[in-house]
Amino acid sequence: MAEQNGSEFSFGTKNRDWEVRPVATTKRELSGLISEIGLDKQNGATLGRLVAHGGLAHALEGPDGKMTAQIRIPPDQLIWDPSILVLPHGGDVEIELVNDDTNTHCALLPSNGDSRWIWLPVYSRGKTTINLDGPGYYWFSSNVGNDEGRGLFGAIVVLGDVPSEARLDRPEQPRP
Amino acid sequence: MTEYVEAPPAAKLSELSASVGSAPAVAESVTYERLLEARSEPQNWLTYYGAYDGQRFSPLDQINTENVGRLGTAWVFQFGSYGLHAGASTYAFEAAPIVVDGVMFLSGWDGWVWAIDAKTGQQLWQYKHAIPFDVSLCCGNVNRGVAVAKGKVFVATLNAHVVALDATTGEAVWDTVHGDVRAGESATVAPLIVKNQVIVGSSGGEFGVRGHLDAYDIDTGQRLWRCYTIPKPGEPGADTWPADSPAWARGGGNTWVTGTFDPELNLLYWGTGNPAPDFDGEVREGDNLHSDSVIAVDADTGEIRWHYQFTPHDLWDYDSNMESILFEEDGRKLLAHFDKNGYFFVLDRTNGALVRVTPFSDRITWGEITADGGVKPQIFPDKEGEAVHFWPGPAGAKEWCHAAYSPRTNMFYVPVQDVGSTVTRRRREFKESIPYWGASVTVDTTDMAGQVKAFDAATNEEVWRFSWHLPISSSVLATGGDLVFCGTPSGEFNAFDARTGDLLWQFQTGSGHHSSPTTYSVDGKQYIAVPVGWGSWVEGFAPGMMGGPHGDALFVFALPSAS
Repeated sequence: MAEQNGSEFSFGTKNRDWEVRPVATTKRELSGLISEIGLDKQNGATLGRLVAHGGLAHALEGPDGKMTAQIRIPPDQLIWDPSILVLPHGGDVEIELVNDDTNTHCALLPSNGDSRWIWLPVYSRGKTTINLDGPGYYWFSSNVGNDEGRGLFGAIVVLGDVPSEARLDRPEQPRP
Repeated sequence: MTEYVEAPPAAKLSELSASVGSAPAVAESVTYERLLEARSEPQNWLTYYGAYDGQRFSPLDQINTENVGRLGTAWVFQFGSYGLHAGASTYAFEAAPIVVDGVMFLSGWDGWVWAIDAKTGQQLWQYKHAIPFDVSLCCGNVNRGVAVAKGKVFVATLNAHVVALDATTGEAVWDTVHGDVRAGESATVAPLIVKNQVIVGSSGGEFGVRGHLDAYDIDTGQRLWRCYTIPKPGEPGADTWPADSPAWARGGGNTWVTGTFDPELNLLYWGTGNPAPDFDGEVREGDNLHSDSVIAVDADTGEIRWHYQFTPHDLWDYDSNMESILFEEDGRKLLAHFDKNGYFFVLDRTNGALVRVTPFSDRITWGEITADGGVKPQIFPDKEGEAVHFWPGPAGAKEWCHAAYSPRTNMFYVPVQDVGSTVTRRRREFKESIPYWGASVTVDTTDMAGQVKAFDAATNEEVWRFSWHLPISSSVLATGGDLVFCGTPSGEFNAFDARTGDLLWQFQTGSGHHSSPTTYSVDGKQYIAVPVGWGSWVEGFAPGMMGGPHGDALFVFALPSAS
């Protein structure tokens, strides 16, 4: 499913005044099963598209530690691509949002201090910087009309551990 | 090639609201000295319990037994939720509103903190801590309140951070990581300011963590001390855990409810939670100190000076986190504690000696505590796969919701839950971040009851009770108008005559109460504030109300203005 998104929309090309970053995708057996019954498209198995099924990408981290990412809305799919954005650790990440759809959307993004909200008119792009602690994952969405329910939910995953000084004074414990 | 237009600039969500964006600098002058004398300025509710003694008593008497019948709504603050958030079905409005010179500071679910004009309800600023969707929440998406001092507002977050906010803008000043979310830790407690320290407890006892209490520098967020409630091998109390076993490292004993403080003795009185696993005692033979205890902690060093364990070797999930109310009797320094196990303890707070203990709940079948403090368990889950039923259930005869004490009547006012539970021991391996109960648990959905009860502080004897068909799961407020306020799970907010228990006023708020009402005054007018929003660990304390309206409003009541 993610592979389909990547090939359908001209990722990796250059547009007039902005640079497209490559979107890394992964595919698992579960993805095939979901695609087989049509959960990865609008008005297939269900009315909308299963949330967080629009591909996965890792944020880029520059030598200065600054994290950046790009998230797009492809036409007629009501999804974020990627719908799973992975950050290597907590901190600030600058996200560029691109609306390739012929409908107006928006983005509500989690951030420490206050959430960020941005209009995404047809064929628009905009940037915002958010701050997340992690570890854990956070939802973002286009919080208008049918956008959320139809699939315009995505997750921002923050990897890593809490600082050593915040961990419990005890021997290493088994994990699932 | 697509030609793109620039999207309008991103905005903070609060910029797209009627929020003012700033608050008067009322918190600048909130010092430790003012907190010590908090009750001398009854127009304010400066700290979690109103004062360090935990009495939840305000001398304000404009609203009294004669006129409370005319009480009406002054304003309502509502917020709801945006997008998907952690524990979407469990969020509740549990806070105790803090008020400083006309400004209210309030926390909500999922990392929200607000400053509000206490006279009009106008939102002044908001802060949102982004909470991971997958954070471990044993008992719901909740927060019990903030602390205010030295120009800052302090809040503990569900992902176990402690954050200091500028009280005039809501902007973060410092942010310290307080716990390990990968281990199942979280934080829901209202911080307590003592001297130049922010005292914060931990949550996560259902995940087999090791409970701790921490002090942070009020200016920098640097940790000054950490007190583990469960001793590791070699520390005092370690002999109450199995030798050559990792049980202590997963022993629980969390500190998720704000403590009280005696400045003369320089002691914090902090309740501790259940041992882990909650119901499988065979893997943790011994008394399991300092679970289910009140620990008297040196406020400067974090050392435990003494402890009293209310339920040694707990097999019923009887946390003792709930408040220890400080009071005096014939010049003797005492503390009162109503425990989940259904017993009302009075201790000498200088040394932890038991003064008296009596039952306060109608149905207690798990065991008996004798007058000298001896504990005799009778019904408990000790055989794998064999169900037992006992009262009170795991939420206890009184959960974290607070009792109050009025020095005018010398009575304690207690919210009581009378709900039983069936528990079957089911052993499981410990795995970090996976719930670690050691049992299958179902709490009764019928045959339940609740009361607000008044007890004579001198004798522990019941003076009056207000009976309700549902467990009472919200805190009590006592006032100088000889009134006692308390809400119900079915939405009624009640005012009782503090001396007789007569119901004098009632207002249906539309959602169940699981919070701590407070009172204050602005320009000489007294207000009663109560957060309303049913949720949290409902399956534990009132599963018969799992379908109750959720709610998310703060109601503020006052007498009508003179015409």
